[in-house]
Amino acid sequence: MSTYLDDRSRPVRPLSRFIAFALVAVLAIGGLTARLFYLQIAEGGRFATQPTPIRTVLEAVAAPRGLIYDRLGRVLVTNVPTFAVKVRPADLPLPRRQEVVERLAALLDVNAGSINETIDSSTGSTFDLVRIASDVDEQTALLISEAAFELPGVEIAVEARRQYTYGALLSQILGYTGPVSAEAFPDLARLGYLPDDLLGKSGVEAQYETELRGTYGSQSVERDATGRRTRVLETVLEVSPGASLTLTIDTKEQKYAEKALKWAISEVGLQRGVVIAMNPQTGEVLAMVSLPTYDNNLFARGIGNADFGQLVEDPNLPLTNHATQEHFPPGSTYKLVAGTGGLADGKISANTELATESFLTIGDTRYFDWNRRGFGPCDIYCGFGHSSDTYFFQVGAMLGIDRLGYWANEFGFGAPTGIDLPGEVAGIVPTTKWKQEVIGEPVYPGELYQAAIGQGYDVVTPIQLVNAYAALANGGTLYQPQVVREVIGPDGRVVRAFEPKILHQLDVPASVLQTMRNAARAVVELRHTYNLVELPIRVAGKSGTAEFGTRDSQGRLPFHSWFVGFVPKDAEAGSFDATDSELVVLAFAYDSRTKGNVATEIVKYYLQQHYSIEQDYRLPDLLERGNFYQSN
Amino acid sequence: MGALRPAPTRPTDWAARPAGAAWRMFDLQLTTYAALLVAIGLVMAYTNTIAAGSAALESGTTLSRGLLWAAIAAVAFLVGTAFDFRWLKTFAWLFYGIQLGLLVVTLLIGKGVGGSVRWVEIGPLTFQFSELAKILMIVVLGSYLSSPGRNLNSLGSILGACILAGPPLALVLIQPDLGTSLVFGAILVGMLWISGASLRWLSVLGVAIVAMVPVAWTYLLRDYQKERLASFLDASPDIQGPGYQLYQAQIAVTSGGWLGKGLTNGTQTQGDLLPVQTTDFVFASLAEELGFVGGAVLFVLFALLLWRVLLAGWRSQDPFGTLVAGGVASMILFQLTVNVGMVLGVMPITGIPLPFVTHGGASLVSLAAGLGILQSLNIRQTKAAW
Repeated sequence: MSTYLDDRSRPVRPLSRFIAFALVAVLAIGGLTARLFYLQIAEGGRFATQPTPIRTVLEAVAAPRGLIYDRLGRVLVTNVPTFAVKVRPADLPLPRRQEVVERLAALLDVNAGSINETIDSSTGSTFDLVRIASDVDEQTALLISEAAFELPGVEIAVEARRQYTYGALLSQILGYTGPVSAEAFPDLARLGYLPDDLLGKSGVEAQYETELRGTYGSQSVERDATGRRTRVLETVLEVSPGASLTLTIDTKEQKYAEKALKWAISEVGLQRGVVIAMNPQTGEVLAMVSLPTYDNNLFARGIGNADFGQLVEDPNLPLTNHATQEHFPPGSTYKLVAGTGGLADGKISANTELATESFLTIGDTRYFDWNRRGFGPCDIYCGFGHSSDTYFFQVGAMLGIDRLGYWANEFGFGAPTGIDLPGEVAGIVPTTKWKQEVIGEPVYPGELYQAAIGQGYDVVTPIQLVNAYAALANGGTLYQPQVVREVIGPDGRVVRAFEPKILHQLDVPASVLQTMRNAARAVVELRHTYNLVELPIRVAGKSGTAEFGTRDSQGRLPFHSWFVGFVPKDAEAGSFDATDSELVVLAFAYDSRTKGNVATEIVKYYLQQHYSIEQDYRLPDLLERGNFYQSN
Repeated sequence: MGALRPAPTRPTDWAARPAGAAWRMFDLQLTTYAALLVAIGLVMAYTNTIAAGSAALESGTTLSRGLLWAAIAAVAFLVGTAFDFRWLKTFAWLFYGIQLGLLVVTLLIGKGVGGSVRWVEIGPLTFQFSELAKILMIVVLGSYLSSPGRNLNSLGSILGACILAGPPLALVLIQPDLGTSLVFGAILVGMLWISGASLRWLSVLGVAIVAMVPVAWTYLLRDYQKERLASFLDASPDIQGPGYQLYQAQIAVTSGGWLGKGLTNGTQTQGDLLPVQTTDFVFASLAEELGFVGGAVLFVLFALLLWRVLLAGWRSQDPFGTLVAGGVASMILFQLTVNVGMVLGVMPITGIPLPFVTHGGASLVSLAAGLGILQSLNIRQTKAAW
């Protein structure tokens, strides 16, 4: 210590630590040298015999997705070949990445930043392909594949894109396919999906995903240094193409329905509407139109953010199938439930006359009939035919809320019909139990009145309502509505043939349903639906006006219009005593506020087309804007 | 303990000199070895540039960028040498702040591949701040461990150093960059070792870290990191998946033989089959094209360089200098071992550059600054005449 000039102690610097450090360094470098010697000299040439600049990869081979036909074999969706640009990040040399990305961006005419973002945000391994662009035109695809040497890691994939023949006409039924989302991928990967795969996202495409998709195969493929495929070595797993579907939908009927609804929309300025045509004998849906809608070809081509944002933000929900995915108050169409229940429970008979006053009173509240005068003494034909509210208030009171609920459930309300389309909602049938559980209150007598005429808490989907009237028309069988008729295997053979699916038989005597069918005919004959009776075909049905929302400055509520009707097999001379109807049609007009019932006009227009009726019975006068209290 | 160390040869000489620099003490050997390593790196950049199909000096190529970075590194080295290293101690806390700032900035605006953020783009250059953070870490830890009155036999000092190293390490780990965070760990361990810290407490700490491994595996590592480690531990790695890089690298290495295939003749290198051949897998290219002899020359240069670095630390009159030398030596040795070991299949795949040789600007500048500090140490061996 004394050798130092100042008096501070010399820092502790143990030589042993330095020696140990040096020893570690010598060992490490010596070890690396030995390993290098072993690999290069001792083992040298072990790999030399291998054809080095080649590697093999196991590639998935997409199965062609099944096609979809309408009931008469018209092709509704086909697969067209398109080019997609993909990048395998592991093959993209880091120092050249920016150059490659910029070149690619120029070729695709997109922003280099967005390509970088796509690559960086991919969650999979760097060996998984990342989709940069879909549906690239052939010229560009050719340019990119020719520049393969300057674009290492970039691949052109030929893939099939869905092309929907009729676009928006059938979008709500067919749905569309879209890329697998990052959140869903881990689960889907177990089912054999690839990170850049497509799958059905809505409609039949989603519902029948398993059938349509088929089973992907795999093959081992040889690649050269730039990642280009040089040859296919072997097929490891054979591709099994997807099955095709035949729908119950008749495109011609679908067009009729769309035309009828579009006419009303342009005439009245409706915001939303639904038309459904169904065969009551089988539950087959012949036409189902829900407007506004979207063009599923937009999705097939890879929808842009702007277009998608517009669809999502539209207050009238064009992406929603209003026929199955939304419920509304049914209004007077629901009097079918109270009428049938009253007759079946013996509370009334077909001839029982009830006084239909202008209003009934509970406490201080008056419950008015829609015409404010009443109809005098009325039996079921008069009550249903004129749609007397006070008549059904009384029937509802005789039944009680829970018995009314029971009959509603019998007709299929309050539960999804099970139609083979995704996202169906159940509607609500209020009962004592329901109200206690959901609202925490008992049912008040006024609410029972409301429930009997399809107001208040009652909400139904259009598909439920048309299905209930189908059960009335066919004599009491509630079918599960279906849009797919057959599943056809890749070899052309029918894998699954169509069979009607019975949900249950209504617990109602045949005579009661016969009475209700004739009461529905009375609706038409009493001219409650104006000139519908003048059509050369025989229609029975029920209109409905359902108030919703909030009152305007004059205390009036906006309302939806409904009409659901059916025609006997012998359209011109058939009887409603029979149960042979093969056509039930429903129209729903959201927030219609017209003088007359616009839904009836829509059904009328549809029937005119369906039965090729030359004369035009439509009454555009009824579609003028106005407060509608003349009819119900 | 001081008795173990021989006294300086002519103590009076030191005292006689003024506090300024003694340029004759500049270690020419140290500089030479480092320069040769950089030269090897540029040669590999050249061969990789040819592999990419570009003219050697075209702008934007690996080589031209390498030359640019080498020039910047030379400046960093000269600046480090010219400045009195003692200033570093004064500003240690500022450096610590800068270090954390750089890493936070990287997380905020950094770019990377596969969901990681590692580089920050400054004009045409990309900069990996975590490389600069390494040298700043060495300065900060050196300053902390050499501060007057620090008792290196206490657990407190050791834990203090760990706590200092913790935040930067964590910031790098969440980028996520497992490799660089391991380098931080190596620097910490190396510096504690050279500092002469209590062996007993160091062993306790070591046991604790080993005990933490299962926890880290479960909560800290990303899936791809686990995959890489698993593919290393797996005897027959999946050569189509993460083991692919390794497989291609080993083909390159084994095909090198004694003298290699000659520059620009490597089939693996020229076929662009080594995904990151200009950076982390540069040694594979070197082994393929320059063979065992080339590899051995590289190792000898590293060994000589480490010797000169440790010598600078040993000679230092200031414990801070000893610690900085220990840190720099640990960093170089660890990166060399892990990087080359990875290529040779004895270490798991982590993104750690090969010091001086890897084409990667920040790494080179960081190392050059570190060597500059050591030279500053060499030429300022006097006790300050306060």
